[in-house]
Amino acid sequence: MKDLKHLITFENLLQDAQNELVTKALGEGKLALGYNCYYIPEPLLNLPGCFSSRLRAPRCTSTDVAGYYMTNRTCPYARSILERAIEGGYNYLSALFGAESCATMERMEEHFELLHPVKNERFFSTILDPPMKGDANNLEYYKVQLRKNILLPLQAHFGVDISDGAIRSAIDDHNAVSRVIEAIGAHRRADNPNLTGYEFHVIQLVSQVCPHALILPLLQETLEELKTREPEPGFPFRARVALVGSEIDDPDFTRLIESCGAMVVADRYCFGSFPGREQIEIRAGESAFDAVCRHYLHWNQCARFMDGMKIEQRTEEVRRLVREFKADGIIYENMKFCEFWSYEKVLQNHIFTNELRIPCCTIEKEYALGAAGQLRTRFQAFIESLEIKHIQGGERT
Amino acid sequence: MRVTDKIISAIDRKLERFDPLWQAEHGVGGQRSRYRDKTGVAKWREWRGVKDTFYDYTQWLNNLVSMAGMVASAPVPILKGFWEYRWMGSYLGTFLFIDRLFEGYRGEELRIAHMNMHAIVQSLTKRIAFILANDRRFGGGSETDNCIPHDETITPLFLKGFKGLHPIPLQTLPEFIICDIDQHIEPYYIDVAESFGLPADVCSRCAAETGVALDDAFPLLGRVMLSTNMPCNASESTSMFQRRRIGLPDNPITLAMQHQNPEAIPYSRKELENALAFVEEHYGVKYDWDELFKYARLMNEQNTIELEKWDLFKTPYSPLSGIAESLYRLYSWQSVNGQDEYFNRVDRRVIEIMRRCYEEKYRPFGGRTRHRAFLWGPSAVYYTDFPTWTQNCWGITIVLNMDSTMGYNMIDTTDPDKAMDDLTAFTQRACMRHHAVGGWENINAVWDWARSFNCDMVLMNDNIACNGMLGVHAMMEEQARELGFHFIFIEHDLQDSRTVSRQDMRNCVNNYMSVVLNEKPLDPTIVEFDDSEAY
Amino acid sequence: MGKIVVFLLKMLGKLALAALILFVATFTLYITNAENKLIYYVVRPFLNRHYDAQVRDRRIV
Repeated sequence: MKDLKHLITFENLLQDAQNELVTKALGEGKLALGYNCYYIPEPLLNLPGCFSSRLRAPRCTSTDVAGYYMTNRTCPYARSILERAIEGGYNYLSALFGAESCATMERMEEHFELLHPVKNERFFSTILDPPMKGDANNLEYYKVQLRKNILLPLQAHFGVDISDGAIRSAIDDHNAVSRVIEAIGAHRRADNPNLTGYEFHVIQLVSQVCPHALILPLLQETLEELKTREPEPGFPFRARVALVGSEIDDPDFTRLIESCGAMVVADRYCFGSFPGREQIEIRAGESAFDAVCRHYLHWNQCARFMDGMKIEQRTEEVRRLVREFKADGIIYENMKFCEFWSYEKVLQNHIFTNELRIPCCTIEKEYALGAAGQLRTRFQAFIESLEIKHIQGGERT
Repeated sequence: MRVTDKIISAIDRKLERFDPLWQAEHGVGGQRSRYRDKTGVAKWREWRGVKDTFYDYTQWLNNLVSMAGMVASAPVPILKGFWEYRWMGSYLGTFLFIDRLFEGYRGEELRIAHMNMHAIVQSLTKRIAFILANDRRFGGGSETDNCIPHDETITPLFLKGFKGLHPIPLQTLPEFIICDIDQHIEPYYIDVAESFGLPADVCSRCAAETGVALDDAFPLLGRVMLSTNMPCNASESTSMFQRRRIGLPDNPITLAMQHQNPEAIPYSRKELENALAFVEEHYGVKYDWDELFKYARLMNEQNTIELEKWDLFKTPYSPLSGIAESLYRLYSWQSVNGQDEYFNRVDRRVIEIMRRCYEEKYRPFGGRTRHRAFLWGPSAVYYTDFPTWTQNCWGITIVLNMDSTMGYNMIDTTDPDKAMDDLTAFTQRACMRHHAVGGWENINAVWDWARSFNCDMVLMNDNIACNGMLGVHAMMEEQARELGFHFIFIEHDLQDSRTVSRQDMRNCVNNYMSVVLNEKPLDPTIVEFDDSEAY
Repeated sequence: MGKIVVFLLKMLGKLALAALILFVATFTLYITNAENKLIYYVVRPFLNRHYDAQVRDRRIV
């Protein structure tokens, strides 16, 4: 396939947290608001005068200093973020909105207050207590938490407009970006897609780490380009897989899977588009803030949700993606030391493999892509098994 | 001096060479001298002098009678339990367990320790008999459907408003208590969980619970189960497996993690109310506040006494400390929770002794205490006698344990609305989560606790798989240095003694005491020894 | 009257003897740690062999 016009630009934007577009937005006087987790609704960080910046630690290969603070037995994503903060990589941030979605994440975010690694006088951070069920009581609690930990501090510290109108406008902005990403991602549904999983991963990531106003034109251009982009003459992969897991923000991981012969057709992980790029609908009589809270609680697929309804939703969502994107199998990933996803992958592997008869492969990885050889072997073996199943006439579920 | 005292004193002098404390003091042996290597089985029981040995013997008999009573009350289910459940076999190690907990204890320390211990034994034996007699696996009993199995970190008190129903902490028998007694039992269940692909780096307690579920080793009782998000991430996750395997309708009670915030109470209160409605719906019973108040009064009395105990802990004259304090508090608060008046009676007797000791300026442990330590962080369940060892080996008295600071607020016993708020605050401050998660302030509270209890040392339990505690490693160390506390990380793996052995844990203290403080052990025979095959 | 006293004394003596025997037996058991040795070296190994031979219904659901 012909290279996408902006792919190299996009790749370059992922090389640093403070990329070219972030710097440009800061130059325009905007406030960069950091976050780590889907529990923090992106639209609330894109209120007038602000832009959201989902934190990554690209090219972080050593977490020595963060390891001193948090030991090397904690989630490498959290450690890498702290390491990057200590290195000064997030000095552009005006605030960090954290969530005690897991203990390590919370501890890492605490260090932003304890160590003051962000050298920005205006910087502050909050950590919310996120809900664990999808019922009415938890929705109310979520609202209280988001108002207390995001909206009110933004208003108090920076005088940000948190009115219903401002949130509506942020929702419009979110929906506009999401529409484009969704349309780009839909190209993966084709039998022979004209977009690789790697390319989509890069595109989805830039939509999360760049100011929306600045990245949207490039994304729209890419969507237009895709309408006429010719795919390879034949499907160049041996299988199609859905990738499910936690904080996968390294497109090289997707590239590794694809280099082993399986196209990643669906991205159901924390930095992925499922969930993340659904349209937020404001229902009749509902405030924009309430709509955001309802939407994010409904779509949240975090493995920490405990109620049966949300657990089943997690399974159903992956099953839907497998069906709609015609995946032959699922790769379940967990970050090393991540308890939620360690348990989730065991349970879902059982459900998919034994109950739903959808082949499943589970892996555990570091944040930085080390031990690629071991992962490659696992993926190759899995893809081979999918291929054999195909040859033997196995049916897709 | 009475004649009997003279005789006892003469015998004591004659036999003092068998007393391990005397041996250690005179350089001719010590606690470990009477043990068979590795096994933890002593060739003979500890000679503590005539009076204390006789008292220890009577308490051994007392516990024996409770156990016999357990078997007599439900002989067939008990035998079936031993045959069916691997964890039941481990309860046979109870006497070894009690012996090692109270090694070196004399006088009032020994008396209080045994009073507390017997309260646990009499309660636990009744509970085992009750659970097995109603276990569906063995045909069930008259109360099988009246049990409410709930996660062990949910305090059962708020469920006591259901007259005729029995809250049963599900994991306590097969996982928590038994790991205290036998360090080798949970690795079996951990291996079962790992054989299904669970990584070895998750919390071993939750891995063990998962293993019990997958191995089909939970007793089967009740009509629903109440799971919870407490104390931490892994316990939230393991409940997915328990729910599926046990197959009962489940209501997860997800209490606020940041429980110190004002908005936590209304949210968590609603969670508890939803759970009560769930039970009412499935059991067809109405909640009775008068019934609840009855038990709340007992809990309030226990907490009132507890707060007085804390005042006495702050002095050098408390005969209650270490494991005798923490195990009792853990069980009586988290598991009994006002349901058994026996514990109130014990508390009343214990506080009387403590008051007297304070007045008499009694010096516990023969005045051999060199350091007063606060034990912070969830402790290794497989090394319950660790505080006994720190006392005997280095003279470090564990004044209080983090988990002893669980919910100590009083519960209103007249107004249901106020009572519900109080119960919520109470329930949120559960074992292992009150301080370990929910924000920096919770864990950083250790220094205030340590200072107010006149401690010069903090022993920080360092569960190698506890994300909540690992995340603050360096900050805690830096704070200790700044505030002038002796500070030791005690590395452990909570329920898996294979990863970090008991000796590895002891070495954390040994290294600090000998290298940093340059102190000599009180009993050199227990600085380094092999108890890898002991229960 | 005298017979009753003698009877009571004999009973008391027998009870005291029984109590003494019971005390000696249980105290010997206690001080020699015999019950723990029995459990550790005989009962638990037997039970463990049984547990190891069990076929458990080991599954997720």
